[in-house]
Amino acid sequence: MLETPPDPATRPAGLAPGVPALLGLRGIAKYFPGVIANEDVSLDVYAGEIHALLGENGAGKSTLMNVVTGLYQPDAGELILDGYGVQFAGPDAAIAAGIGMVHQHFKLVSRFTVAENLHLGWGETPRRLSPRALEARADALSAQFGLPIRSNATVETLSAGEQQRVEILRVLSRGARLLILDEPTAVLSPVEVAELFRALRRFRDEGGAVIIISHKLDEIMSLSDRISVLRHGRLVGTHRTAETTIPDLVTEMIGRPATLDESYPRSVPRDMAAATPMVLHGVSARDDRDVIRLHPLDLELRAGEVLGVAGVTGNGQPELGELLTGLRAPSGGMITLNGRDVTGASARVFSHNGVGHVPEDRLRHALAPSLSVADNAVLREYDRPPVGGGGRFSATQAADFARTLAERARVMLPGVHVAIRALSGGNQQRLVLEREIRIASAVLVASYPSRGLDIGAIAAMRAMLAQARDRGVAVVLMSEDLDEIFALSDRIAVLCAGRLMAVIDRSEADRDRIGALMSGRTEGSVAA
Amino acid sequence: MSVHMTRLSIVPARRVAIGRALGLLVAVMIVGITLAAMGRPPLELLTLILRSTVGSRFGIEDLALFMTPLMLTGAAVWVGVRVGLWNIGAEGQFYAGAVAASAIGLFGTMPAIVEIPLMAVGGILAGMVWIALPAAARAWLGVSEIVTTLLLNFVASLIVFYLATGPWADHVTGALASTERLRVGLPEVWGAVHIGFFLSLLAVIALAAFLSRSRFGYESAVVGANPEAARYAGMAVSRNVLIVLLLSGGLAGLAGMIEVSGTVHRLQGGLANNYGYLGIVVAILARRSCLALIPAALLMGFILDTGIVLQTAQISASAVLAITGLVMMAIAVGDELSAYARPAIQPKTSGQTS
Amino acid sequence: MTALLTRRATLLGAGGLAALRPAAASALRPIREQDALIAFGHTGPVTDGGWTHQHDLGVEAVRAAFPRLKTIFVESIPYSADATRIFRQFVAEGAQMVMATSNYGDFIRDVADRAPEVAFMECDGRNVSGNLGWYYITHWYASYIIGIAAGLLSKSGRLGYVASFPISSVYAGANATLLGAQSVNPNATMQVISINAWFDPQGANQAGAALVDSGCDFLCGIMDEPAYLRVAQERHVWAAMWNTDMRRFGPDAYVSSVTLDFAPYYVQQIGDRLRGTWRPDAHFLTLGHGVDRDAWGRNVPESVRMQADAARTKMLAGWSPFVGPIHDASGRMRVAPGQTMDDMALYSWDWPLRGVSGLA
Repeated sequence: MLETPPDPATRPAGLAPGVPALLGLRGIAKYFPGVIANEDVSLDVYAGEIHALLGENGAGKSTLMNVVTGLYQPDAGELILDGYGVQFAGPDAAIAAGIGMVHQHFKLVSRFTVAENLHLGWGETPRRLSPRALEARADALSAQFGLPIRSNATVETLSAGEQQRVEILRVLSRGARLLILDEPTAVLSPVEVAELFRALRRFRDEGGAVIIISHKLDEIMSLSDRISVLRHGRLVGTHRTAETTIPDLVTEMIGRPATLDESYPRSVPRDMAAATPMVLHGVSARDDRDVIRLHPLDLELRAGEVLGVAGVTGNGQPELGELLTGLRAPSGGMITLNGRDVTGASARVFSHNGVGHVPEDRLRHALAPSLSVADNAVLREYDRPPVGGGGRFSATQAADFARTLAERARVMLPGVHVAIRALSGGNQQRLVLEREIRIASAVLVASYPSRGLDIGAIAAMRAMLAQARDRGVAVVLMSEDLDEIFALSDRIAVLCAGRLMAVIDRSEADRDRIGALMSGRTEGSVAA
Repeated sequence: MSVHMTRLSIVPARRVAIGRALGLLVAVMIVGITLAAMGRPPLELLTLILRSTVGSRFGIEDLALFMTPLMLTGAAVWVGVRVGLWNIGAEGQFYAGAVAASAIGLFGTMPAIVEIPLMAVGGILAGMVWIALPAAARAWLGVSEIVTTLLLNFVASLIVFYLATGPWADHVTGALASTERLRVGLPEVWGAVHIGFFLSLLAVIALAAFLSRSRFGYESAVVGANPEAARYAGMAVSRNVLIVLLLSGGLAGLAGMIEVSGTVHRLQGGLANNYGYLGIVVAILARRSCLALIPAALLMGFILDTGIVLQTAQISASAVLAITGLVMMAIAVGDELSAYARPAIQPKTSGQTS
Repeated sequence: MTALLTRRATLLGAGGLAALRPAAASALRPIREQDALIAFGHTGPVTDGGWTHQHDLGVEAVRAAFPRLKTIFVESIPYSADATRIFRQFVAEGAQMVMATSNYGDFIRDVADRAPEVAFMECDGRNVSGNLGWYYITHWYASYIIGIAAGLLSKSGRLGYVASFPISSVYAGANATLLGAQSVNPNATMQVISINAWFDPQGANQAGAALVDSGCDFLCGIMDEPAYLRVAQERHVWAAMWNTDMRRFGPDAYVSSVTLDFAPYYVQQIGDRLRGTWRPDAHFLTLGHGVDRDAWGRNVPESVRMQADAARTKMLAGWSPFVGPIHDASGRMRVAPGQTMDDMALYSWDWPLRGVSGLA
C-alpha cells in the first residue's frame, strides 16, 4: 500500500538527526464494516515529547490508540518500536513493550485501597504481602514518579483527580515509556489540571513520551510539544506546537474555520421581572447512606434566563440536577413548579409539567443505548398521543416522531430503527437536547452538555440552549468550562462542598471572583 | 496477506440464520461420521428420523405436541430475558399451573365449557403465585431471581409427587405417581393434537403484538435496556420488573395447564419433562424476536423427537444426550461466528465513532 | 403352561376389573419369525444390574429362542408424555408386539387403542383391553420368606425399607416382609423411606444410612441397584435386595433377594404372538416360576435358613400366610379372622400393615 511518511520538517525541534522514534506508525489502517476508522496514518512519537492528538468525535483517535495498545490489530500498516517492527498480540504485549494507557473512564476497583489497586494484576506483586508492606511499596512508587497519593485510602473515597493519579501511577509503575491519556482533564478541577500537567512534564523531562487526546485546545497549546490532527480517520497534519495556532488547528480538524461564540445575544430583551417557574426553598439533599450532599439552599429559576452553575465536579451538582428534575426527593425544604408544590413528586410529574433534563452522562441516564433511535426519541412522550395514550404504543408513530425530531435537531439518521449507540456522541446529544427542549416549557436543566463533544457539536448545542432561553424557558446550565458559563449565563450560581456559595449576575461576575468561590472562599473573604 | 475479521455489534438476522444452518450442518456431519464409524448407516438413520418426524402424520402430531409446552415455557423465559431477567423457574411454575388445573379438573363439577377456561385461568394464576415471591424480592430488594426461581422448582416438583402419590393418588389403575384421569380435557383437533397447540401459538403471537404495541411493552423494554434511563423518564422500574416476572410465571403456568389437560390428562410426577428448563434454550434460540419462539420451539421439538427416534433405533440415551448437546453447541458457535465479518472497505464513507 | 398361572378366575371374581375386559378379544394374525419385530420399553437402564437387567435377560432368552426375529428396546423411559411418543414410535417402526416393563398407564393405553393390530403387555399394569394385557410377579411370597429371616436375624426388631413411590408393590413388599418377621418376632416394626425413584444410588444411600441411624439393623427395599446393600455392609447390619443376586456388593450383609426371572414367560408370550394364539390377558408369575428368594447369604445361620425355607415349602404346596386377622397401621382390622388375601388383593395392597411407619 502506498504510504505517506511523516514529514521530516515536523520532527521535534532540537532533535539530533538520526535519533529513531520511540514509536513509529506507518500506513496504519483499521476498517469496520462499512467504515474506515483509520487509513494511511503515519506518525512518530519521540522520547522526551508530549504529543497531542486532535480530532473531532469520530475522527479515529480512539481507534488509533486501541491499535497502538494492542486492543485492535491493524488491517494494514506497521508499528515500529525503537526502530524495529512489532506486532502486539494483545494489550499485555503492548504493556510489556512499555506502552501504557490511562482511559477516560478509570478502571479501578472502587472498594480496594490505592495500594491494592496499584498492585492488582501485576506480575511483580509479591505473592504474600501485608497491607502495610503494600502501602510502603505504593508510597515508594509515588515518590519515584512524583505523584502524591494516599496509599491506604479506598478508591471510592478519592476525588477524580486522585483516582487519575492512581491510574497514571499504575501505568508508570509497570515500566511505561509511552503514556497515552484519553481526555484526562475532563473530570479535573483547575488546580488538579495544573498538578497533572506538572507530573506529565516531569515524566517527559526524564525521557518519557506522552500522547494526549483532548478537545481543549488552549490546554493542548500550553502543554504539548507537537500536535497531530486526524480527520475522517486520516492524518491531516503534524505540527510543532510553537509553529501553529488554534484557528489553524480547528480549520484542520473540521475542514473549515470555526470558533465558539463568546456570547449568545438575545432575540428578545431580558425581562428582569420575569416569572419564576421553579423555586427552591431551603432544599437539601442526602445520599443513600444519609450523608449530606447538598446543604439547605434557596434558588429561583427565572423564565427566559440562563442560570449557570459553576463548581468543581462532585461538589453537589449531580444532586442539584436530580432535585431540579424530580429524580431525587429533597431531604428537607420545598420545591414549587409553576406555583405548585412538587416536593417529593416523581420525575414523571416534573417532566409532564415542563421540566426537560439533559443529564451529564447521556448514554447512562438519558438513553437506552441498545434500543432504536425511535424508541429513544419518544422516551419523554411515549405515554401521550400521537405515540401512546391509554395502554397503547404505536411503533409507526414513534418512527415518525423520531424522524421529525432528527430533522429539527439537524441530525442525519442512518435510519430510525438502528440502535442509538451507533450514532456519534454529538448526534446523540443533539437528539437528547431536542427531545428535552420539546417538553421543556418551563425549565431545562443541562448538565455538562458539551462533555465529549467536538467544537462543531458544542456550537450547535449552545445555540439550541440560547434558543430555548429566548422562548422563555428557564435554563440551568452546569458546566466545568467557565468560558461556556460566561458565554451563556445571565446569572451564575457557584457550588462548593455541597453549599450554594453565591448567585451572581453575569454583569458582576469575573473569573477571579467565581474561581475563588469555587475553591470555597466566601464572598466576605474575597472582598477582604 | 492475512485476513482480518471484525466483530459486528449488531448481527443481521440473515447472517445468524446462515451461521446456524452451517452450524447444524457441521453437527449433522459429525454425528453422521460418528454413526458410520460405529457401524450404523447414517443415511438410513436420517431417512428414519425424517420419516418419523416431519415425514409422517404420526411424527407431525408428535412435533406439535412437543412444540405446545415449549412455545409457552420459551415465551415465559423470553419475556424475562428481553428485559435482563432470568426466570429459571419455569419448571416450577409449569407444575404449579398443572396442579391448579388438575385440582379443578379432578374435583370440579361444572360442564367442560365453563371448567376449561377456569382451569386456564387457574393455571395462569398459579404460575404467577409461584413466581410472586422471587418477583417481589427481585423488584424491591434486588434479590437475584435466578437462584430463587430455581430453588422453587424443587419445591413444586416435590409437591406434585406428594399429591400424585398421596392425597390425589390414583388407586384404580395403579399408575405410578399419578392422579386419576381429569374429568375434562382440551378437545383434540387433529389426531392427538389438541386445541392447546393453537392456544400456545396464539399466545406467542398475541404476546409479540402486545409487547410491540403497548405502553407496557415499551416501558419494560426501556427498563430492561437501561433502568437508569427508565427512572429518568419517570417509569416505575420495580413495578415493571414485577409485572414482567408475573407474566413470565403466568405463561409457564399456562403451559402446565395445557400439558396436563391436553396431552397427559393426569397430574404426574414427571409431568414437566424438563420443559421449563428447555424453555431457556428455546428463548435463547429465539434471540430478540418473540415470533422466533415458534421456529425455535419447532427446532427444539425436532431435536427431542429425533432423540426418541434414535433411541428406538437402538442408540443409547446417553448418545442422544451427547448429540443434543452437540447440536446446541453448533448453533451457539454458528451464532458467534456469524457476528464476524470481513471488513467491507468502502472508501467513500466517513469515519465512525471512535 | 406350567411356567405361569393364568388368573382368569380371580380376575372375573374381582367384579370391577372384569368389566374392563372386552367381550371377545380376537387373536391377532400369526407372524413369520423373520418378519417379527418385538419392542421392549424399559423403565430403567439395561445396565442397572436390577429390574431392567432381569427383563433384558428375558429379551436375550427370546432372541435365543427365536433367532430370526428382531427386537428393539428403549431404556429409561420417563413417566411423562415422552412415554407415549416412544410407544408410538415402536408402532411406527412396525413392531407387532410391545412389552413395557413398568406401569405406563394412559401413556401406553392411548397408543394401544390407536394400534389395534399390535399386541401390548404391561408389567405391573391394571388394564386389559382388546390388545393390551398385563403381567406381574407375586413377589409378596418371596418377601414373606425373607421377612421370616429378617425377624430372626434382627436384634432390635426394627426393619428399614428403602421405597421408590408409595405404590402397591411397595405396600405389598414392605407389608409382606414385616408380616414374615412378625411371625417369628411379634414386636418387629418397619420404617419406610420413599426416595421417588427406582434408580437413584445417591438417594438410596442416604435413605439407607438414615434408617441405620434410626436403629434399623435389617435393610430391605425395592431398588434397582445395590446402594443400600453397601451401606449395610459398611454399617454391619443385614440387608435383603430385589431383582437379582447382588451379594458381591455386600457379601457379609447379604441375606437374600427377591429374584426375578422373566425369560420363560417372555419366550412363551412372544411364541404365542408369532403363532397367532396370543390373547390380551392378566398373568401372575408365581413363586418358583418367575419369582423366588435368592440363595441365602454366607453369614445367614443354618437355623434361620431352615425356618424360612420351611415356610417356602408350604407356600409352594399352596399355603398362604396372608390370612386374617390382619390390622393396618392405625390398628383397624382390614382382614377378618380366617379370611385369606388372594393375589389380586395382595397386588393392589394400598394400606400399611400394623408396625409399618413412613407409608400413609
